[in-house]
Amino acid sequence: MEESDAPYTEEQFMNAKQRMDKLLEQSLKGTKNPPNVFFTKLSDLTKELSKGVVNWSRTNSMWPLQFGLACCAIELMDFGASRIDAERKGYLLFRATPRQCDVMLVAGWVTKSMAPRVKMLYEQMSSPRYVISFGECATCGGPWWESYNILQGIDQILPVDIYVAGCPPRPESLFEALMKLQEKVAGKDYGSRERNLSENIRGAEEQGV
Amino acid sequence: MPMMRINVGPIHPGTHGVLRMVVDVDGDTIKNVEPHIGFLHRGVEKLCETRMYMQNPSYMEKLDYVSAMSWDELYVAAVEEAMGTPVKERAQWARMALIEFQRIANHLLWIGTLCNDIGQMYTVFMWCFRERAKVLKLLEDVAGQRMFYLNFRLGGLQRALPPDFVDRAYALCDYLGKKVAEYEDVLDANPIFMERLKGIGVLSKKDAINYGVTGPVLRASGVEEDTRKSKPYYFYNKISFSLPVKRNGDSYDRYRVRYEEIFESIRIIRQCLRMMPEGDDVGAPIKLIGSPAKPDTVVVSRELPKGEGLIYMIPDKQKPYRISLRAPGFINMAVLPKIAEGEKFADLFAIFGSLDIIFGETDR
Repeated sequence: MEESDAPYTEEQFMNAKQRMDKLLEQSLKGTKNPPNVFFTKLSDLTKELSKGVVNWSRTNSMWPLQFGLACCAIELMDFGASRIDAERKGYLLFRATPRQCDVMLVAGWVTKSMAPRVKMLYEQMSSPRYVISFGECATCGGPWWESYNILQGIDQILPVDIYVAGCPPRPESLFEALMKLQEKVAGKDYGSRERNLSENIRGAEEQGV
Repeated sequence: MPMMRINVGPIHPGTHGVLRMVVDVDGDTIKNVEPHIGFLHRGVEKLCETRMYMQNPSYMEKLDYVSAMSWDELYVAAVEEAMGTPVKERAQWARMALIEFQRIANHLLWIGTLCNDIGQMYTVFMWCFRERAKVLKLLEDVAGQRMFYLNFRLGGLQRALPPDFVDRAYALCDYLGKKVAEYEDVLDANPIFMERLKGIGVLSKKDAINYGVTGPVLRASGVEEDTRKSKPYYFYNKISFSLPVKRNGDSYDRYRVRYEEIFESIRIIRQCLRMMPEGDDVGAPIKLIGSPAKPDTVVVSRELPKGEGLIYMIPDKQKPYRISLRAPGFINMAVLPKIAEGEKFADLFAIFGSLDIIFGETDR
């Protein structure tokens, strides 16, 4: 008899195939009949429409949280002042409570004593919520990289959507970052879904935060 | 009535920074305020010991990010004293003009945020930032960056002043003098502004001296003390300027002192521009290994926009062995429980705002 490399014989394979087909038939028996074709299309249409409307309105009224930590917060104030008119793009006044806000701008270095509080602010914001890391210190620790009391990047504890480079970045850079975020929320950008706390937490456990 | 304890901060829009205050109130009256600081601590003094002399200005500027150039100048002056480097004459005049511009920018931002604190939202804030943007534009064209300048080198400036600097500075002085004078119509003529500041947060002359406060807070309490007058550096003894001094020591006087200091700074800048000689103003380039410093301890003090800043440095050959900073904001902060006691809770942020505290230098 010729030695075969296949682990199963032809007969065993056919038996398995029949059993699989039978299982598949049984599982299909439990399902309901597919819905009416006309209704499927209408529900899809309304879903798409409402998604578009929600995204459009979200895009055009993003409210940032009034929350400054260090130097970059001064540039944040300049962003809110007269030279750059951010309201024409839908960024209204900085709100004082996280419950009314969509965007969190982390401006400044985050110390280890401040990190749990920053995370608490993020958790208080209602979904969908977005985070912008503004400046070198929030992005990676910046000039304080070697310090013993600094979190080397806010993305260790929060899911960041946009990074802005600079020490500090100019207010114009922040404006560009916010417009990029608007593109992302509107779905023009690839990977535009909202991010949450469960993903991309860089070494949060090692930091003890 | 039983006392209630209220926690404020550390993230609170009224503190414009990260301050936590534990406030004991009896009804609406403050009985005790306990400030908790340290939320921005990153160990600047320790980090400075690991860097060469001329790498440290970058750390120093981030102490007080509203008036970065003033701390930069103070640190470079300390290193110059340790090295024994003379400063070129034109560079001295230029430094005086630049740090006075920085003082104006600091006070403008302070007036704007104070008006936000007391509820006069955004009108004066917008005006102040309009003028501040003009000042920052000039400093940016001199130094190359908008907020942090790193503009001073040993013996001079980082690069020569732009050729149109004097003309632009004169024009800016005229502009600022005209525009800042308009604030008086909106602020001092506004009864709400006066109600919120006048007689609130009174710091007596005796307390001001005992607590060791400096700068505009001290001068608002009736003490005529300024490092530019008492220990003059550069050519501050060659030019004429007066110190705005007030008697009452309340929040309004602290506002008034800073407001009048803007005009004094404009006066100083005009004299500097007039007396600035032609010539070279560029300092020594940064070398990895420079000439070694003298081993004597260095103590240098300067009148920063927020008060007297002081650097105590024990030099090593190529880097500081130990550096200790006297930040005016930290000392002025100590007076908050004293002056807030007995005031209404709603006035707490107006009182706190009138002290002009920046947490970069308080927490270090």
